[in-house]
Amino acid sequence: MNRKLIIKSNSSLNDFGANAKRSKYLILMIIPAIIFYVVFCYLPMYGILIAFKDFYPKKGILGSAWAGGNGLANFEKIFKDAYFWKVLRNTVVIGVSKLLISFVAAILIALLINEIRLTFFKKTFQTIVTFPHFLSWVIVAGLVFNIFGISGIINKALQLSGKEPMTVIYDEGFFIPLLFGTDVWKEAGWSSIIYLATMAGISPELYEAADIDGATRLQKIWNITLPAIKPTAILLLILSVGGILSAGFDQIFNLYNPGVYEVADILDTYIYRYTIGTGQRPGEGAAIGLFKSVVSFILVILVDRIAKWSGERGII
Amino acid sequence: MRKFADIQYLPLRPKGSTFDKRITTMDWVIFAFLFIYGLIIIYPFYNALLVSISPDSVYNETPFLIIPKEVTWSNYHTVFTSDKLWSGLKVTLVLLFVGTAYQLFFTVITGYALSRGKWLGKNLVMNMILITMFFGGGLIPYMNLISKLGLYDTFLVMIIPGAIDTYNMLLMRNYFATLPPDLEESAKIDGANDLQIFVKVYLPMSLPMLATIGLFFAVGNWNSWYNAMLFIKNPEYKPLQLVLQEMIVEGSSNVERVSQTQTISEGFKMASVFFTIVPMMCFYPFLQKFFVKGLVVGAIKG
Repeated sequence: MNRKLIIKSNSSLNDFGANAKRSKYLILMIIPAIIFYVVFCYLPMYGILIAFKDFYPKKGILGSAWAGGNGLANFEKIFKDAYFWKVLRNTVVIGVSKLLISFVAAILIALLINEIRLTFFKKTFQTIVTFPHFLSWVIVAGLVFNIFGISGIINKALQLSGKEPMTVIYDEGFFIPLLFGTDVWKEAGWSSIIYLATMAGISPELYEAADIDGATRLQKIWNITLPAIKPTAILLLILSVGGILSAGFDQIFNLYNPGVYEVADILDTYIYRYTIGTGQRPGEGAAIGLFKSVVSFILVILVDRIAKWSGERGII
Repeated sequence: MRKFADIQYLPLRPKGSTFDKRITTMDWVIFAFLFIYGLIIIYPFYNALLVSISPDSVYNETPFLIIPKEVTWSNYHTVFTSDKLWSGLKVTLVLLFVGTAYQLFFTVITGYALSRGKWLGKNLVMNMILITMFFGGGLIPYMNLISKLGLYDTFLVMIIPGAIDTYNMLLMRNYFATLPPDLEESAKIDGANDLQIFVKVYLPMSLPMLATIGLFFAVGNWNSWYNAMLFIKNPEYKPLQLVLQEMIVEGSSNVERVSQTQTISEGFKMASVFFTIVPMMCFYPFLQKFFVKGLVVGAIKG
């Protein structure tokens, strides 16, 4: 959630007068980084050209012909595809709902844990609720299938009691709530830590003063705790907006199945299955990828502008 | 029994106040909520454990169990004698040690170089790195690059592309930037160069931070499957998580494949899952404070 919080550079302007010889060791230390970023981040940016090409790996990026003569054929094709729009809609719905649900859940959990007054229980709860964050979605999917899957306990129990078996993970109506639920299960506890840390920094005098005025617990939460975490909460919320179109590849890829593709396919899973799974249409896959990158980038810039305009700390 | 001192303070600490030690109904309600939430977190693990130690016949008859009816270790026996899982574990352990050291090395030297001095092109490099946090080429160009580099289906594809994690690198850079600069100046007067200052002065001061970041890398490597899934075809190079994924996820979610994988029992799957979770469960309670510190430091430093 707070991946991008620390990117402010304390840049001083032109360093060009600096003595390169005196800093030779520092420059030596930065050379691997330059190579790394050029190779693994900038070369793929050059590879975006694939989106405009009728790409054949053997011919290479430059050797492949422009798609449809003008280079736009891949985009025309994906924009005409009704399934693409469905996938985009799924991505936005899943991305936005997950963002909001997790946001509220994390704050709620932090408020509850903060109200626990016995340090032992506070610590224990924290350990329990943050633990699932450190598991991979592969593992979590294993645990989920064991409950909701075809040979999971719910299905088994229904079968035994003579009822119609119902596999939750194959059901279009249940699958999306399952995504929200498992996301909260895995991540909300960890996300709440940041709010708990902020709450720990609130001066106890504020609460004492409120006690003297006869404030109730709810009043104290509403008037002291929530305002204190508001800046952090807003910052985290706007930061996560740039990731809406990512919507959680790991989670969906490990949990979904052909029965729910119609509702669960997001841009990333679609690119994966549509091009990598089939080994075909790299141009269209790259075009969808570029579409996603550009929209996400615009979202980040927009959110940054809005944040600065409304007086919050910007992110760029 | 209430102590005398407590009674004295009572007028200032009315019922329900923050410093009132008495337990109220509200406390019970909050506790109950969290208790249920905690149970929801724990239940899937407990259930997996039960399934893994129950014989298949018991699981098929009574899938909902609260306490084990009959304990068998046969699933774990199968796990420990499974070549696939051992091979996966070996790959994962190599990734865990080699990969973590490799990532730590490059992430830390980059963070240090960006935190010190005013060398030529520092801002340019910084901006070049920041741009990559907001814009990328996407999956298809990345895959094309990997095959062009000849990394496809090699062990190194799971290590090399992870050299620098931008977020942790910036965390490290910000940390180095907070260390007192006078140490550097006095070491320079003594004739030390930047490399010596880094290794002998600043690195020893940063060990807690290195531990924190190293732990995040270690967890990442333990859990890594994505690069392996994209690029690894050789079964000998498949890390534990990928082996598990092929066993659990593809078996359970791919309707057409269910019939083929029906031979893998639920008990065996859960035993394998537990086999992967247990190391994390053993270490996590002791390491939690490092992780929390890493998260909090990252968010508070602006």
